[in-house]
Amino acid sequence: MKSTLETINQMQTDGIIGKYAIGGAVGATFYLEPAATLDVDIFVTLPAASRSKLMSLAPVYDYLKGRGFKAEKEHVVIGEWPVQFLPPSNDLEREALEEALETEIEGVKTWVMRAEHLVAIALNTARSKDHARILQFLEQRVVNADKLNQILVRHGLVSKWKRFQGRYLNKDVNE
Amino acid sequence: MSNGSRSGKQDRRKQLASLSFSEKVKILEKLRERSKKIAASRSKLARAVDKPG
Repeated sequence: MKSTLETINQMQTDGIIGKYAIGGAVGATFYLEPAATLDVDIFVTLPAASRSKLMSLAPVYDYLKGRGFKAEKEHVVIGEWPVQFLPPSNDLEREALEEALETEIEGVKTWVMRAEHLVAIALNTARSKDHARILQFLEQRVVNADKLNQILVRHGLVSKWKRFQGRYLNKDVNE
Repeated sequence: MSNGSRSGKQDRRKQLASLSFSEKVKILEKLRERSKKIAASRSKLARAVDKPG
């Protein structure tokens, strides 16, 4: 992972990407026990020139291919890890990226999404594995309920959260 | 599952969650290697079943 992040940080220094943050299962690992995953989700902002081309990731792929990294479907293998670069697709993901926490992995600076944003994004994505991850976050008590509630209200996810609670936490959806 | 083994499992999960991010990422890497090996042996087995002998 060290060399993966060093390459991504270099992309940032070279102006290929702007701010970035680790999300998905690897991001969740910052707060939870490690769970098997095959790839790393990197949410990225793109510099203004790229944004104008409908958020094209072409400059990202071109940069990496030019340095010998191989693309595999939607991933680029950097170091040992297949990396998926994801421009934020909605305001929730934009906010999660903006408010990401700075941390380090093996001495390399990086950013990870906050627990409350990871939960809200998982709720919004709503696959079985996302629901399982939300339950892990709740079991481990690493989510600030007030902060999560504010995010859910801000991004129109309250009814989805109530349905989740009714389904998995035996809570009345009208509470 | 007995209460004892359940709480033991929860303790272990808490212990894993409390490791540093770097340590947890190292575990992720080991899990990923293991998943890749399992997937490779599965596809090898599937090929052997498709082409017996």
